[in-house]
Amino acid sequence: MKFWVVRLVSLAVAFGFAFGADAWIAGSMPSAYRLAVLAGLFVTLAVSLNLINGITGQFSIGHAAFYMVGAYTTGFVSNQFYAQQPLGQPMWLIAMALLGAAASAVAGLVVGLPSLRLRGDYLAIVTLGFGEILRIVTQNISQIGGSYGMNVKPFGGPVQTLWVVLLLAFLCVSICRNLLKTAHGLPFVAVRDDEVASSAMGVRVSSVKVTAFVIGSAFAGAAGAMLAHAETFISPDMFRMDVSFIILTMVVLGGTGSITGSVVAAVVLFGIPEYLRTLQDPITKLPLAVPGQALLGSLVAVGLTVWGLREVSRRVHGNVQNRAVAYGGTLLGGAVVAWLFSVVFGLIPQIAALKFDVNMLRMVIFALTLIVLMLLRPQGIFGHHEFSWRWLGGLLGRRPREATA
Amino acid sequence: MSQTVLALQDATIQFGGLVAVNKVTFDLNKGDLFGLIGPNGAGKTTCFNLITGVYKPTHGSIKFHGQEIGGLPPAKIATRGICRTFQNIRLFSSLSALENVVVGAFLRHRTPLWTALACLPPALRETKALREESMRLLEVMDLADEAHTRSSDLPYGKQRRLEIARAMATRPELILLDEPAAGMNPLEKEDLQSTVKKIRDNFDMTVLLIEHDMRFVMGLCERIVVLDHGEEIAHGPPDAIRNDPKVIEAYLGEAHS
Repeated sequence: MKFWVVRLVSLAVAFGFAFGADAWIAGSMPSAYRLAVLAGLFVTLAVSLNLINGITGQFSIGHAAFYMVGAYTTGFVSNQFYAQQPLGQPMWLIAMALLGAAASAVAGLVVGLPSLRLRGDYLAIVTLGFGEILRIVTQNISQIGGSYGMNVKPFGGPVQTLWVVLLLAFLCVSICRNLLKTAHGLPFVAVRDDEVASSAMGVRVSSVKVTAFVIGSAFAGAAGAMLAHAETFISPDMFRMDVSFIILTMVVLGGTGSITGSVVAAVVLFGIPEYLRTLQDPITKLPLAVPGQALLGSLVAVGLTVWGLREVSRRVHGNVQNRAVAYGGTLLGGAVVAWLFSVVFGLIPQIAALKFDVNMLRMVIFALTLIVLMLLRPQGIFGHHEFSWRWLGGLLGRRPREATA
Repeated sequence: MSQTVLALQDATIQFGGLVAVNKVTFDLNKGDLFGLIGPNGAGKTTCFNLITGVYKPTHGSIKFHGQEIGGLPPAKIATRGICRTFQNIRLFSSLSALENVVVGAFLRHRTPLWTALACLPPALRETKALREESMRLLEVMDLADEAHTRSSDLPYGKQRRLEIARAMATRPELILLDEPAAGMNPLEKEDLQSTVKKIRDNFDMTVLLIEHDMRFVMGLCERIVVLDHGEEIAHGPPDAIRNDPKVIEAYLGEAHS
């Protein structure tokens, strides 16, 4: 009974969020539709890779390939049927998501099977190679556009796409969550921890690995299908190796194995560069530029703050208030250091003459964020933890109930 | 007459030129408490690996209830009813003690994966049942207080007991214990002796164990096989083994025999 209440509340919150996002975007900045769609796709990609990489422990870095298989398959099929328009817009999108999922699931099976004998780095190399082979083959098939890419005739407008994308992300999160909630998820984690011991306990290691690959790549394929229909243009360049690496970074940064972590890291890592891109000077409405002394000053401050935070986490223990004061003090100190150094650097005319465009610096800031986060939390933002209503209840002051067996 | 559970007949495995286990032959009857001893490198663990399917025997046969199991994959052998613990503990380190045991019990799951992915009631009921059953096993092994502790955070002796609990969760007919008392103090060893007896008597299992501690083996096992350099050098009840000149030679060297 309580179980169903929690489920319904989760579902209601998810729908509320989707409606809210839809309304907010429609009201304030319609141009953000595309960003919302892409963020949803990255959430799906990160969570699905987390199933393969984090939960089952199979180090795969070819996730962009599954993304691409979904995109190209559905793009091609959509173009074939565009003249007839056999289904309405939302239904067609859902059908395409299913088709993309099926196509990528087959690809996942193809990679999964020969990879059964490989572990760790060796598997990583095979998946990487698989991704590159698929991309280069696609680049050389002129029927699907070759390296020029392919136009996909859109069935749905951005609104419908956003809804289907959010649905997809929600489905992906719930499936992974359900897996971990039931005893069926334990063999996946067991395979990650110790293959020999799991097989001795009767776990069919091969079928667990292949299952993880198939489910994970199916979601990546569905995400690819949505990408093709949201962007209405796909090219092999959109599925390069670095896409795989970004998705992998999201998984690791969020906390390997943590679904919540993957979701949060996907939104944050996708959001940072996009947010910096839109920053404007409030007066001139030009892209925001920072003076040289401010940039150098904050770099010094970031370094010192990271060092300070690490020292605090090592030395300060005890109650929440003490720690909050220590962390807050360090951050405040960081801000003061940034100000002091920017004043000092401002005295040097060569530095003061420099101007840096934040848009240009966005990948630098992105990379710095990664480094800082990994230094401060090597286990990832969420570590092995997950979001739960009970946890939220505890945070809001209600005493959490004793965990039941 | 007691029924033969496991029968090794000339079981042999060769790694290149090295014959790690050479023509080992012994039978285990239902309810036996059987010891497998020998000096370091005698091939005891290799023998376990043969029985549990980690290695495929080069020659000879391994029969479980009269059916050949030599060379079957480990998971199949576990399903048939043979489960083991490991010499160097191999727990699932990121799982809690209880979850470790549930992995063992999961062998008997009936609901298909998709019901779990959809979070349907049958899968949830089954999860609950498996957890409750595993909890009872933890109680038997005196680990109930640690049910929600990460297995890697448990002290050494408890990790050993947890490995036994996990193996028992698969409800094997034959349980293989690889040096269960290694690293335990005398008090813990005594405890373990009574636990192993309890497992055999209350859970209707046959036990085959490897152990270096002679007092432990002699006090517990009813029959013993001694291996040396992969060959079986003695076979019999503890008293006969204790006085067997070949065994003394293998352990202490020729001058003492």
